[in-house]
Amino acid sequence: MLYREAGQFKTTYAADQAIFPILQDRWVFWGFLIIAFVVPPLTGSQYVMGPILTQLLVFGLAALGLNLLTGYAGQISLGTGGFMAVGAYACYNFALRVPELPLVVDIMLGGVCAALVGIVFGLPSLRIKGFYLAVATLAAQFFLTWIFDHVGWFTNYDPAGVASAPSRTLLGSWAQEGGPLGFLAPINVLVSGPRATPETKYLVTLAIIVALALLAKNLVRSSTGRAWMAIRDMDIAAEIIGINPLRTKLLAFAVSSFYCGVAGALYVFTYVGNADTEAFDLARSFQILFMVIIGGLGSILGAFLGAAFIVLLPVALNITAATLGEGTLSSDTLSNLELIIFGGAIIFFLIVEPNGFARLWQIGKEKLRLWPFPH
Amino acid sequence: MWDPIFFLEVLIGGLLSGVMYSLVALGFVLIFKASGVFNFAQGAMVLFAALTFVLLLEVSGDFWDWTAWLSLGFAAVAGGLFLLDRFPSVLKSKFITPGRLAIAITAIVIVLLPMLFDGGQNMWRGVFIALFIFLVLTIGVRQPRAAAAILLGVALVSFLPGEINFWRSLALTLVIMIILAMAIESMVLRPLVNQEPIILFMATIGLNFVIEGIAQGVWDADVHALDIGIEDIPFEIGGIFISYFDIFAAITAGLLVAGLAIFFHSTRVGRALRAVADDHQAAMSVGIPLQNIWAIVWAAAGIVALFAGMLWGSKLGVQFSLALLAFKALPVLILGGFTSVPGAIVGGLIVGATEKVFEVFVGIPYLGGGTESWSPYMLAMVFLLFRPQGLFGEKIIERV
Amino acid sequence: MNQRSIEDRITFHESLETMEVDFSEMTFSTKEEIDAFYDEVDRQLAGSGRRWYFLVNYIECVIDPDVWGQFANRGKNSNVSHGLGTVRIGAVAETRDSIRERAKTEKFRANLYANRDEALFALGEMRKRRPAAAPELGEAYVQVDNIYLNFGGIKALQGVGFGVQRGEIFSIIGPNGAGKTSMLNVISGFYRPSQGQIFFEGKDRTHLPTHAVARLGFARTFQNIALFRGMTTLDNIMTGRLLQMRSNVLLDALYWGPAKKEEIKHRERVEEIIDFLEIQAIRKTPVGRLPYGLQKRVELGRALAMEPKVLLLDEPMAGMNLEEKEDMARFVLDVNEQWGTTMLLIEHDMGVVMDISTQVVVLNHGEKIAEGTPDEVRTDPVVIRAYLGAG
Repeated sequence: MLYREAGQFKTTYAADQAIFPILQDRWVFWGFLIIAFVVPPLTGSQYVMGPILTQLLVFGLAALGLNLLTGYAGQISLGTGGFMAVGAYACYNFALRVPELPLVVDIMLGGVCAALVGIVFGLPSLRIKGFYLAVATLAAQFFLTWIFDHVGWFTNYDPAGVASAPSRTLLGSWAQEGGPLGFLAPINVLVSGPRATPETKYLVTLAIIVALALLAKNLVRSSTGRAWMAIRDMDIAAEIIGINPLRTKLLAFAVSSFYCGVAGALYVFTYVGNADTEAFDLARSFQILFMVIIGGLGSILGAFLGAAFIVLLPVALNITAATLGEGTLSSDTLSNLELIIFGGAIIFFLIVEPNGFARLWQIGKEKLRLWPFPH
Repeated sequence: MWDPIFFLEVLIGGLLSGVMYSLVALGFVLIFKASGVFNFAQGAMVLFAALTFVLLLEVSGDFWDWTAWLSLGFAAVAGGLFLLDRFPSVLKSKFITPGRLAIAITAIVIVLLPMLFDGGQNMWRGVFIALFIFLVLTIGVRQPRAAAAILLGVALVSFLPGEINFWRSLALTLVIMIILAMAIESMVLRPLVNQEPIILFMATIGLNFVIEGIAQGVWDADVHALDIGIEDIPFEIGGIFISYFDIFAAITAGLLVAGLAIFFHSTRVGRALRAVADDHQAAMSVGIPLQNIWAIVWAAAGIVALFAGMLWGSKLGVQFSLALLAFKALPVLILGGFTSVPGAIVGGLIVGATEKVFEVFVGIPYLGGGTESWSPYMLAMVFLLFRPQGLFGEKIIERV
Repeated sequence: MNQRSIEDRITFHESLETMEVDFSEMTFSTKEEIDAFYDEVDRQLAGSGRRWYFLVNYIECVIDPDVWGQFANRGKNSNVSHGLGTVRIGAVAETRDSIRERAKTEKFRANLYANRDEALFALGEMRKRRPAAAPELGEAYVQVDNIYLNFGGIKALQGVGFGVQRGEIFSIIGPNGAGKTSMLNVISGFYRPSQGQIFFEGKDRTHLPTHAVARLGFARTFQNIALFRGMTTLDNIMTGRLLQMRSNVLLDALYWGPAKKEEIKHRERVEEIIDFLEIQAIRKTPVGRLPYGLQKRVELGRALAMEPKVLLLDEPMAGMNLEEKEDMARFVLDVNEQWGTTMLLIEHDMGVVMDISTQVVVLNHGEKIAEGTPDEVRTDPVVIRAYLGAG
């Protein structure tokens, strides 16, 4: 069946305001989701599920968080790494100190802590705009990583300053065999730690991210999202139609930091397995920002497309180098070459399509709608 | 224990290192003022300039060495461009255009160079030089006179007698920075004219990666010592020890600022520059050549980067961490305002003094040290809450 | 003298918001008679504690010319204290003339009708247009007092003050740089005046932040369109509903239950506005792609979606062609009539201003130089000099 919307009449406003008003889009979406849940675990490849897909999903979530703030509410932030770190360390401490809590709750609590910190560092956004704000958010980045480096409590006084994710189950220790909620034991799988299977880690990550992405999509198409976009497009006009700028901006910071915090927690518990401030440094903040820009500002799908590009580019470069033959390029040269190609690709994409992959996707769909006729 | 002399010493040390921050910040201010671009690659430019300079200095030994040949090459290119400009009839052929000629020459050089250099690092340098010649040629094709003048001047300077290596390397680095600036202008900025500031900002971050990659890949990632003839030894005034080097750096910064201030306010180019900063389209509509102005500003920023790179390089050694100096410059920019040259200086002083005093009197005794990474940012953030336009920025009147 | 008591002659029709006063077949020849009647009227009005429309029946009522002045004055007093508007029925020739004469000097509408049906119909129309036809008397709806505004050394406004009545179309005119837009910015709370006060519905609101002013019921459009360019027409107008929306971020994220219902409810309201402004075709077009005239219309739509009590329009017709101007003028008048919205308008097209305004104030160099009805202003020599230069 061709990609057409002709003949799909909407008789209610509810139908008109659905996420995918076009039938074929819904099919593609559900199909894609089923593939994402079923196919990778079937391959059984730890490499595909871990370093590639889980990493992509986790960074995609962080990019989504930043996109809510930068792409929708128009506030540039360079503190993403710091907020991810808050989520990661908060989640680590909840999991470590309150093992009764389900891991999912730990992860969400990590997000909540990040949201609270985000509100504090979002306060200057009321007075500061644009690049000044971007630089001010660097304060969050540097201060937060410094704190986690210098206050031993956060890493449980680990001598190397590295917090290893403890083995925790999906529903917490109460739901284990013999616990007060023992009847839940069969589904109470081990999610984190060295004994957890890559399949479980991947599926839990995917489930959390699908749910959060859906919530984000709802948020941006409702009154909250419109208030953010109004502030982004013209803050003066937004204020004059009665939008409270402080409340709106702080809400954006809170929600964005929540997503980044959850991403940070997932990074530690389902992807890498330990928390280290090096993983949440400024380079990480920039990496996430790139994902947002290359994926497309103001697009949920774009965040994941951008993450895919940035995660997969080094992989592709490595494979290319390997096929070209071992030894012709030293690892130093390769890493420098990677820098150059990475930077070049970013510039190239900005020149070709400043609105990112999401825009390309949209243009593609518009063309497809008319295909095979050009007009 | 409160010791006023010690405090003063820390304060002055902080102020003087603050001047060095200002030097880096100046590059940002220049470009922001003239093009509204927040050039994140400024730190990489500092690294690039310092690495180029130190390596030219290291490889040049005899009179007829590497750099001399490079200078001769420049001179030859300059002559060719000049002739091309004078006698355009030479290239009346439809088939041979200057652009194609440039590509052809580059291709030949790219093929030849790897043969001359025996693989490894040198091969990369060869490829880099080939690309570089390509840039010179393409830029020269567009503005032959300017290119010829710059190249010829540099070629002459390179053969100055006396402290041959130093001055020759300096001149060569200067020209390389100018060409880099022109290349950035034509390959990155021009296609992005009229885009949102954030897009330009992102492009400069991409640029940052490219320049860092080139700097480390083509040159190397080792730490190089750089001696510019000023020793970092302290002298004493009234019980306070001050370094000669810091004084020298402060004077250099002062001279640069004075020069830039005159340039901005009293020259034709300066006026055009301010017009461009105000509104790209309006400036273009009155016939200001946007591209030239941008090229000039980026070149000026490149020169500032060179000075900053030399001073910082001789203090810390030339190495990758020079690129991270950009992050010291950012709070300076916030405090001083993105568009104010004197603001960059005063901001630098404040940042330098605050972070040293805070680290010595609060950070180390009570917080376990390392506060320098964030204290300037916290200061800037708190400061902005009370004065959003920065120290020297004009009060923003919003109109609707 | 009367067959019926005075009390019987006064009836209140709650559903019509109307007090009917029956003077039929009465004769007034002494001040005492008049006072007796009006004392009773005033007593009942005061007891009601609200304002009424007056339906006055003059059929075969005779008033001695000697006491006409007293009669009219008592009538006026009642009207000022408790009236919304008056329609009159069947006055005899002398009374009719007296009323007309009085209407001319005191600037009210005579509203004389031949019979009760006609009068009731007119009353109905009047109630529909209520604010436009019956400006409340006393303290103005929006009262601007002695406003000063400085930017550094520039004196943008110097002691400007005026009052806008409820339901008026009030225009601010003046040469370029006269401070019109600054005045509007002060009223909409965007600029804080250095001195002076602004009252709305009798309350001081000088120091409210911009978004709180919007909450009070002020909406505006901008001289240089200030739409949210990244959003569609529909979303732009939906932003105007944000003030009315009650959902929170969690419900929004779930897009379920109350949030969804509310979304649909407001969408319906917005669709009404889209219909009203005839912009159905561009509902889902990003506003950045629309031509200028349509953008202005969308902006008006966004302001209307706020259901404002006071609508501030900053040069709504600037840069439009004749047709677009006529459309816009029609929308302005329709809005004023349908919703009784008070309008404050800046416009350079004198034709339009004189046509649709009820009251005009003229600014020059940040000062008020004239105020009055369009006719008064048009002939004011000071105004003419300001526009044409001294000469």
